[in-house]
Amino acid sequence: MRKPLVLRHPSILVFLGVLAVFTVAVTVLSAGYGTGAISTSMVKTLGKTLCLALAAVAMDLVWGYAGILSLGQMAFFALGGYMIGMWLMVARTEGIVAGSLANLPIPPTDAEISAAVATQIFGVVGSDKFPMIWAFSGSLWGQLALVVLVPGLLALVFGWLAFRSRVNGVYLSILTQAMTLALALYLFQNDSGLRGNNGLSGLQNIPGLDAVSQEKLSIWFLWASAVTLGLGYLLIAWVASGKFGSVTRAIRDDEARVRFLGYSVEGYKLVVFVLAAVVTAIAGALYYPQAGIINPAELAPIASIYLAVWVAIGGRGRLYGAAIGAIFVSMLSSWFTGGRAPDVNLGFYTIKWVDWWQVLLGLSFVLVTLLAPKGIAGLVDLFEGLRPPKRQGQPMGPDMGSLREKEAVE
Amino acid sequence: MRLFLLVLAFVALVLPIHARAQTADLAAVVSQYRDQIEKPSRQSIGPVVDEIAATGAQGAALLQAWNERLLGLRKSDGLLVIAAPEGDGLKLTDAATGADLGSAAEADVTMLRPNSGVRGVISAAMAGNALSDPDPKRRIEALDSMSRRADASQLALLREAMDDPDPALAARKQRLERMLTIQYDSDPAARIAAIEGFGGDSGLDFRASLNPILAMRRVAFEEIPSGTNIAKELSLGGDLSREDAYAMLVAEGLAPARLTPQAMRATLAQHIVQGSVGGVPLAQLADQDARDRAYTALEAQGTVQPAASDDEVEAALARYKFLDVYAEPNPDVTTAARAALRSTETRIGLMQAADLSLDALSLASIYFLAAIGLAVTFGVMGVINMAHGEFIMMGAYTGYVVQQFIADRTVSLIVALPLAFVVTFAAGVALERLVIRHLYKRPLETLLATFGVSIALQQLAKNIFGTQARPLTSPAWLDGALTFNDVVSISYIRIAIFVLALVFLGLYLFIMNRTRLGLEVRAVTQNPAMAASMGISPDRINMLTFGLGSGIAGIAGVAIGLFAKVTSELGSDYIVQSFMTVVVGGVGNIWGTLAGAALIGFLQKGIEWFNPANTLAAQTYMILFIIIFIQFRPRGIIAAKGRAVGA
Amino acid sequence: MTALLEVRGISVSFDGFRAINNLSFEIADRELRAIIGPNGAGKTTFMDIVTGKTRPNEGQVLWGENSKSLLRMNESQIARAGIGRKFQRPTVFEDQTVAENLTMALSASRSPFSVLRWKPTQDSVTRVGELATEVGLGDQLGRKSGELSHGQKQWLEIGMLLAQEPRLLLVDEPAAGMTLAEREQTTTLLRNLAEKHAVVVVEHDMDFVRRLDCKVTVLHEGSVLAEGSLDHVTANPQVIEVYLGRG
Repeated sequence: MRKPLVLRHPSILVFLGVLAVFTVAVTVLSAGYGTGAISTSMVKTLGKTLCLALAAVAMDLVWGYAGILSLGQMAFFALGGYMIGMWLMVARTEGIVAGSLANLPIPPTDAEISAAVATQIFGVVGSDKFPMIWAFSGSLWGQLALVVLVPGLLALVFGWLAFRSRVNGVYLSILTQAMTLALALYLFQNDSGLRGNNGLSGLQNIPGLDAVSQEKLSIWFLWASAVTLGLGYLLIAWVASGKFGSVTRAIRDDEARVRFLGYSVEGYKLVVFVLAAVVTAIAGALYYPQAGIINPAELAPIASIYLAVWVAIGGRGRLYGAAIGAIFVSMLSSWFTGGRAPDVNLGFYTIKWVDWWQVLLGLSFVLVTLLAPKGIAGLVDLFEGLRPPKRQGQPMGPDMGSLREKEAVE
Repeated sequence: MRLFLLVLAFVALVLPIHARAQTADLAAVVSQYRDQIEKPSRQSIGPVVDEIAATGAQGAALLQAWNERLLGLRKSDGLLVIAAPEGDGLKLTDAATGADLGSAAEADVTMLRPNSGVRGVISAAMAGNALSDPDPKRRIEALDSMSRRADASQLALLREAMDDPDPALAARKQRLERMLTIQYDSDPAARIAAIEGFGGDSGLDFRASLNPILAMRRVAFEEIPSGTNIAKELSLGGDLSREDAYAMLVAEGLAPARLTPQAMRATLAQHIVQGSVGGVPLAQLADQDARDRAYTALEAQGTVQPAASDDEVEAALARYKFLDVYAEPNPDVTTAARAALRSTETRIGLMQAADLSLDALSLASIYFLAAIGLAVTFGVMGVINMAHGEFIMMGAYTGYVVQQFIADRTVSLIVALPLAFVVTFAAGVALERLVIRHLYKRPLETLLATFGVSIALQQLAKNIFGTQARPLTSPAWLDGALTFNDVVSISYIRIAIFVLALVFLGLYLFIMNRTRLGLEVRAVTQNPAMAASMGISPDRINMLTFGLGSGIAGIAGVAIGLFAKVTSELGSDYIVQSFMTVVVGGVGNIWGTLAGAALIGFLQKGIEWFNPANTLAAQTYMILFIIIFIQFRPRGIIAAKGRAVGA
Repeated sequence: MTALLEVRGISVSFDGFRAINNLSFEIADRELRAIIGPNGAGKTTFMDIVTGKTRPNEGQVLWGENSKSLLRMNESQIARAGIGRKFQRPTVFEDQTVAENLTMALSASRSPFSVLRWKPTQDSVTRVGELATEVGLGDQLGRKSGELSHGQKQWLEIGMLLAQEPRLLLVDEPAAGMTLAEREQTTTLLRNLAEKHAVVVVEHDMDFVRRLDCKVTVLHEGSVLAEGSLDHVTANPQVIEVYLGRG
């Protein structure tokens, strides 16, 4: 009776198509499976960018659809990375340790291997025992479950506390920022059980896949990231469409009115918040094996603000906008800060982009917020001839997160 | 008159004789101990040094030269000389007589090089002498060195030199004498009297003198020897775990070691016979049970020492008593010392609490300073400015730049404070006009846009001033600390910040409650439409209010820059805490901000007190506390009231 | 006749100001009732209390046949229990279409997970169409409600209220800002509604209340001053003093 989701929202089809073409093209040009025009480190960067795009799409669900400006999303991202990183590190160290112990005259017991692995991993923080939280680190499936469970549970508890007491708007933003700051500070401690500021490293070596070269592995991860992004995008697009999406957007614009319709606003916010946290964590779990290292600096509040910035520049309230924003800004960022952008000689002063990119980013972000709240996605509207409604500057609802006049379309 | 003449004649006769006798003494001592002076050893040199010191002024001069490595042997005749550097060569003096021997080349003298242990002995002896030196400076030095490095011999020296014309020094000598008595007097009664004489004194030196008396060793005895001063008999499993107790016995060689997995493994590896150990194939030894079987088999063959069994361990533990024993043999002394230490600890605990409160107060003032500008922009106007931290940073850099032009620290500070206000006021007005004005009632967008400004300003500061920290030096009169006693002290700069915070509080209250601007600000925030209809321009008021809040941030920046390092990240270090302060305190109320700063400051110091080594944990728990606090008082400590709030 | 909603001795104060003072009130099923009173009489606060937006300092609010207390429920639970509210200013979700607004209001399970699985059915589509036609927006289903005129938004909100199928409707100053003809139409609509639902109309326009022709409760300074037919209450000297004494 009803058309399928992708036909009701053609943008989904376009997005998935572009993603597929992109992935195939990179594969064909890669060093592992194709001509080698794209370096392996570039492939890894692209794979990581896809993970960031997924985090941005989840952020858009929270902010663009539910109106919650969460400044703690990267905490979930990093937690996902930590959870998978624990397994990667243990499994790999186990391989190395078992290899070196095998040369001894007496074959090692399991307890001896485990003790040696613990010494190897926790020596840097002056310990030789596995902390409690590493109980499942020996099992891939255990840690994969934790990738979802730990951030999901954190989001559930935090969200339940915050939404229940009706903290919203700026307060909620500051609170989420405080959450990620607290978590980062906690992880910076050596006795946090996650190696303090050393973080987890060597994550790019996948246990059991030692025979596969990094060139090929990077393509595998690119595909995994692309497929996850595609599935995550579909999931979030499905949630954001239909009646659930309708209620969510209504909460964004006027949550008091939604309450009087009989919907439990807190419950909806919680579902959205937890779902986004889980998706973000999965993105993180794919990101860090490609990055190779994770440490508490990844949870710094600024990282989460950047995520919000990407969504805003891409255009909030539309999932493809968020993805485009994340890809565009993070790629541009690495181009400028990687020293690949040519310096501009003004005669009296030479602009080095490494130094000036942050200034440019900050200012362009102010300009986007002020002048083009639709961000890059606004170009699509321009192309399709959609115009914002004329409301004399009135936003679409009384709440802080509601759509602005310039963000809406007629 | 006759008598006087007689005395005079006697003095005239005796003095030279006495002097001659002394020099003769020194010469005798020198010749007697010549070998030891040339090749001194720390253990045996003490009596020699004492004898030299006893000979008087020339002996002291010799010791001083010796200590400063200016003593040498003239190569021509082997005479012991004091060789002071003079121009390219040396000026020689006869060490024993003090006679001037003219100059000599460096090559003519073999210098003696006493090692540091010997020099320690020499300087301690000199200190005894110096205690009666007419120069008070030297007496102070001697007392200082004696209290740093005391031993039994010095107690006698000190007691001989107790009289002092300077009452303060006399008191110091008195105190040091009591302290040395506690540690080194041979009469226990005198020591106890000295300990009790201090009452509940909380001085660090007093506690330091008690600590060696109460030093303990942990020992195991089958029979407790008589005369042992027992601090505590340890219960197994309670005070001391059974494993540690047995490890003690093993370490003292009183019991055979238990077989550790490592040791078992090593032993097994030594007994590999044709791919198996004790009949167990090597491949199976990756299992503890199999290893036990192999080891038992080896034991049965008699090839390895049987390991201590559990029963043997139990028996050994039952045989021995485990004690903490004082090194000090006299139980009365230790009891008195323990009582004295306990009573000082109570007082010290109270003082530490006082000191902690001062710390917390100064931390609270810092947070208050950082947050008060926000209390204006966020609290009163409801504008969230993520670049607020960067305004603090701009203030600090303004202070730094002013110091580059004005060398006098005091004057530069006086110039920097208003200048920082002007600079950040202008920046605030610009930000309000260009960005914030267009985003009123859109706090989330304001948050993000001002964040953009914040990262741009931070990078700009990096480009201009570089990434390394810039010094903002405080005037000399702010150096140092107000010290109440050994425990309680607070640096002047923190007092200044506290005063500055109070001044700002007063200023804020004055502006808001007593000036036209304050009236208009309150009118605009409560009802902009009504205010506008009464001829108040909300635009102008918003601009001025925002400028004011930013200006205050600038001044706070100068203050914070005085004790923190000025970097481009200065502001972002404080921004989250500042927002917390305002939110926890309650938006729109300066007393709330004050309460918030006090709560956060005291809380953080309180948590640090429980876990002093870990300030990171303190911050983590503080933030967690705030998150939970917000759950129960979402509107802060001092909540804005009224119907409008609920709407 | 048992009461559908019973309010017993509620009081509430803001900063020492008693907005509601020992107020008691009852309404039966399918009854039309008007609440009048001058500004500051506590009319809106009364509605806030019934819908759970404001908690009273004392008193009881009981609902339905089982006399369930509403005070322990939050806004959404009260709405699900069957109390609908129309605000003074039209509040619809302006970034969403008329159909989306109505679909959201349709009586159905409100739990997030069943909403997530919810799909439009033949019935729901028909029902939304009917409701839209009923409030005169039958041809506007696909338009964003933000584009509707002020009056159309009012109608859409009433349509949403009907879609909720509440047992009690609280209507806050429905006639504010309406033309004479629109008022006439609103009167008819409210009287029709009262045939199926209990309706409480808060109004301070006496003429409008006269047209409703129903029992009237007069509020003054947070308590009931008089109750009865309009003629009865307007004859009450206290009421006259409150209204005319001020005027």
